[in-house]
Amino acid sequence: MVDMKKFKQNAPAIPILVWFGILVGIPLIFVVILSFLSRDELGNIVVRFTLDNYKRIFDPIYIKVFINSLFLATLTSFITMIIGYPVAYFTANLEKKKKALAILLIMLPFWISSLLRTYGWIILLGNTGLVNNLLIGFNIIDKPLSMMYKFSTILTGTAYMLIPFMIIAIYNSVDKLDRSLLEASYDLGAGKWKTFFKITLPLTIPGIAGGFTLVFIPSLGLFFISDLLGGGKNIFLGNLINSLITKGRNKPLAAAFSVGMIIMVLIVLFIYSRLVKRNTGGADENSII
Amino acid sequence: MKTQSYKLRTFYLSLFFVILYVPILSVVLYSFNKNPSTAQWTGFTLDWYRELFSDRIILESFKVSMIVAILTSIFSAILGTASAIIAIYVTKKMEKAINGLMLLPLLVPEVALGVSLLLFFSSMRLPFGYMTLVLSHSLFCVPYVYIMVQLRLKEIDNSIIEAAKDLGAARWQIIKTIILPLVFPSIITSSLLSLAMSLDDVVISTYMSGPTSTTLPVHVFSMMRVGVTPKVNALCTLILLGTFFIIGISEVFSKKNSKKEEEEVD
Repeated sequence: MVDMKKFKQNAPAIPILVWFGILVGIPLIFVVILSFLSRDELGNIVVRFTLDNYKRIFDPIYIKVFINSLFLATLTSFITMIIGYPVAYFTANLEKKKKALAILLIMLPFWISSLLRTYGWIILLGNTGLVNNLLIGFNIIDKPLSMMYKFSTILTGTAYMLIPFMIIAIYNSVDKLDRSLLEASYDLGAGKWKTFFKITLPLTIPGIAGGFTLVFIPSLGLFFISDLLGGGKNIFLGNLINSLITKGRNKPLAAAFSVGMIIMVLIVLFIYSRLVKRNTGGADENSII
Repeated sequence: MKTQSYKLRTFYLSLFFVILYVPILSVVLYSFNKNPSTAQWTGFTLDWYRELFSDRIILESFKVSMIVAILTSIFSAILGTASAIIAIYVTKKMEKAINGLMLLPLLVPEVALGVSLLLFFSSMRLPFGYMTLVLSHSLFCVPYVYIMVQLRLKEIDNSIIEAAKDLGAARWQIIKTIILPLVFPSIITSSLLSLAMSLDDVVISTYMSGPTSTTLPVHVFSMMRVGVTPKVNALCTLILLGTFFIIGISEVFSKKNSKKEEEEVD
């Protein structure tokens, strides 16, 4: 017999579950089903089971796209961590008023249009861009440096877009740190660096892992950055899915790639939950994800 | 020794913030450049702004974006707040399930989410336009409202609600007279955030826009793909001003509220 009291208590939640079921659950199941279907010459979907879409993913050209995306996402996460950790650490140690200002400055880009923030790099790095103008103006170079449409340009744009996530995630864990542990370490004669590597860093690993997850996942799908800064030379999973849907009209293959992308996300989330559990003994239920 | 590390800290943070804001400021700067190329600064002008206001496609897509954003933020405010309040009353297990569901749209990469919605809506033969835009935008806005309202709910002193219960208040009375007024500032801030996110979305809108309902960011993206023109800079600058206006309103609201709270404590 179903527990009637519990059912009655949970009844108001049913509309929420239905809402998410219809708008997230069913579409995702739909993508999985579609990825096993075929299409005719006109691009219409034909209800006939096939594994061809998944076989095509393992085509060397497409494997390269997967590796490209994985490489970009991993490198973006590392760069934002290396640049962002000191920002988060220093900010957490600022006095109250300056701290509030610094946090405001870190959070503000969240509100600012992401297209504008990407476009800014075109203005800076283009052949007639601000950086080249300045370098030529000061006679440091005499021909403009070519800085656009490279892998490194896309990497810069993606890291720039996502670094606030990394900083906030690390900041939260540095700020929560028990200061008495650091004092104890100093009292016992450990130096600054030793205290950092033996105490601060290990205790902030959940924050770093959270930041990694928050940076890694969106960097797989921000196709407008690689479109604008990469000029279509480097192809990533996001661009590929986008052009298969909008230009190629190969929806089943796009669905198969979307499934591949979601599996990559699941792997990252799995590693994240493992890392957090190991580092907190499973006690920290309020971790950011 | 101490001053040295202090200097290092200040230097690093300042350098970081300069790099964080230089791309944004240079977009603004070049929107006033007479020369259509960024190669040279030939003088100050407002011509590019004038040109914007005579561009019918831009004005039209701005209208679409505003309508979608306003509807999205109202809809998300209602749904997110209702979910957060419902989550207090259900069992612990159900609360966890709702929390997990709310994170789901934020964890799936936007492209995958957009594609899945596109395939689903088109198979349901829903016409693409305002409705699909609002539904899809609310998907990533509702969770933010939910999280922000939930944080505020957790701060509420439980004894107030217990007292109301003892005095015989019905559940909806408690919600109406105690809970809603207390979480109201969070609802306002989070719906303003929803407004900003909806106005900014490119990826999902690319798939959800109908033939006559292109949103501003989708149009701006196609303009940027063609190349750099000061007109795009001018448009971006205006969008930035709009964003600051929204942030300003939300700051006023949160300041007002924290003042009120201080008075209550006194």
